[in-house]
Amino acid sequence: MVWFKRSQFFVFLCLIVVIGMCMRITEFDVSKFKDFQNMGDFLSKWFPMNTESLPYLFQESLLTIAIAFLGSLFGLIIGLPLSFLAARNTSNNRLMYGVTRFFLSFMRSVPEFVFGLILLTTLGLGPFPAVIAIVLHNIGVLGKLISELIEAADKGPMEAMRAVGAKKWIGNLFAILPQIWPNVLSQFFYRFEVAIRTSLILGLIGGGGIGQQLFIHFKTFQYQLVSVDVLLIMVMVILVDYIGGKIREKVI
Amino acid sequence: MIEFQNVSVLYPGTTEPALQDVNVTFKRGEFVCVLGKSGAGKSTFIRCINGLQPVSEGSIKWENKSLADMSNKENLEVRQKTGMIFQHFNLIPRMSVVQNILTGLFGYKKSYENLIGLFNSTERQYALEAIQQVELTVEPTRRVENLSGGQKQRVAIARALVQNPKVFLGDEPVASLDPGTAERIFQLLKETHVKRNLVSIINVHDVVLAKKFATRIIALKNGKLVFDGVPEKFDDLMYAEIYNY
Ligand SMILES: Nc1ncnc2c1ncn2[C@@H]1O[C@H](COP(=O)(O)OP(=O)(O)O)[C@@H](O)[C@H]1O
Ligand SMILES: [Mg+2]
Repeated sequence: MVWFKRSQFFVFLCLIVVIGMCMRITEFDVSKFKDFQNMGDFLSKWFPMNTESLPYLFQESLLTIAIAFLGSLFGLIIGLPLSFLAARNTSNNRLMYGVTRFFLSFMRSVPEFVFGLILLTTLGLGPFPAVIAIVLHNIGVLGKLISELIEAADKGPMEAMRAVGAKKWIGNLFAILPQIWPNVLSQFFYRFEVAIRTSLILGLIGGGGIGQQLFIHFKTFQYQLVSVDVLLIMVMVILVDYIGGKIREKVI
Repeated sequence: MIEFQNVSVLYPGTTEPALQDVNVTFKRGEFVCVLGKSGAGKSTFIRCINGLQPVSEGSIKWENKSLADMSNKENLEVRQKTGMIFQHFNLIPRMSVVQNILTGLFGYKKSYENLIGLFNSTERQYALEAIQQVELTVEPTRRVENLSGGQKQRVAIARALVQNPKVFLGDEPVASLDPGTAERIFQLLKETHVKRNLVSIINVHDVVLAKKFATRIIALKNGKLVFDGVPEKFDDLMYAEIYNY
């Protein structure tokens, strides 16, 4: 067995043990699927779909998209300038760099759901706190991602902008933004997609949109509406993925 | 007009200085080629001139004023009137030929004008004239990343020209071009130099090019200035000395 070293067997063994432990605490048990019949019965209650509420639920889907879009876009708009402060090659000084990095890490480490719960107390229920929750988390995520793109950028153009006597921030902006722009857009669309899923979850705590409808319909056993909700959600995610892909293609 | 006084540069984390006690003066009209093998300190030397690289000891004076004594604003003014071109062209990708050339004016303009791309007709005229001067035949609206090496360097030279420079610096500007293109670019640099009566200081590793175009050659070895004179005096012995043959 020339492909493997003895230490790799040890790693493999450890991995087996860890997998075993994880299965135990998650009560992982494939045999539970023997009640699969029940699932079939349950799903059959979803049909026929209740299409009467379709216009209303469609509106709620648009609300979900709006929450996700504003949340990720404002996250980008605030995160982008911060990312320049949080990148080693464009930051003005070590202190600014450290402080911004810490701030971004902090924002990233708090899930939207937690921001949502905290904002509930001051902003009440509704889509607005959901937007803010997504903005706050995305500032951290996009800020960090973009600062890494900035650090990996070719420094040739930066040197050229220094040499023409441009102000530092103008030079950095022009030298770096065109280089990283396709990647920034990619990241943005990915975060937009994630934000759609997040805003569904935020529906659980009254964030509004199709997620909240799904939650309510499920709790009140209106399964013929649940199926409509699920369908709309799937269409929405596929659509955003498709449009995002098209725009990325155009830019690159 | 540019004077090095006992200039040394020591990069942090190194023990051998990249430049060591260099004294040299450049006057208007001189076309200087800097020779030396890889690692001799040529790039460091060029980058010190417009302050991209600060010196560790000694001083560099422009019109008798030391770079170190200048305010941030004065330093930017020095760079405004210094056109600089590079081995890898250092153009801004995804921007067009003319947009790249207009960035040469950044030092002269207000930040918000640069930010939103506010250039008046005179400034745009400069850019178009620069395109003609460097004999670029491509569409000004074409993006720069798919141009050939020679075309890219012409764009870079045009960017330097709109700065209305007094000084031209080159850090191996023809090192990544084929010999024919390299010679044509040097020809262009020399013509521009004469037309505008500049000081040009250019790194090359091709001694033949240097001897053909330079009015003065200086050579560096291990960070020290080991030759300074007219091209005719740079003989085979000197060649062997700096390239260690
Ligand atoms: N940023 C840097 N940090 C540390 N050492 C450097 C740096 N840049 C250059 N050096 C060193 O300084 C010396 C001179 O480099 P350089 O000026 O680039 O020479 P050349 O352009 O003639 O090849 C070399 O030994 C190089 O390794
Ligand atoms: Mg070099």
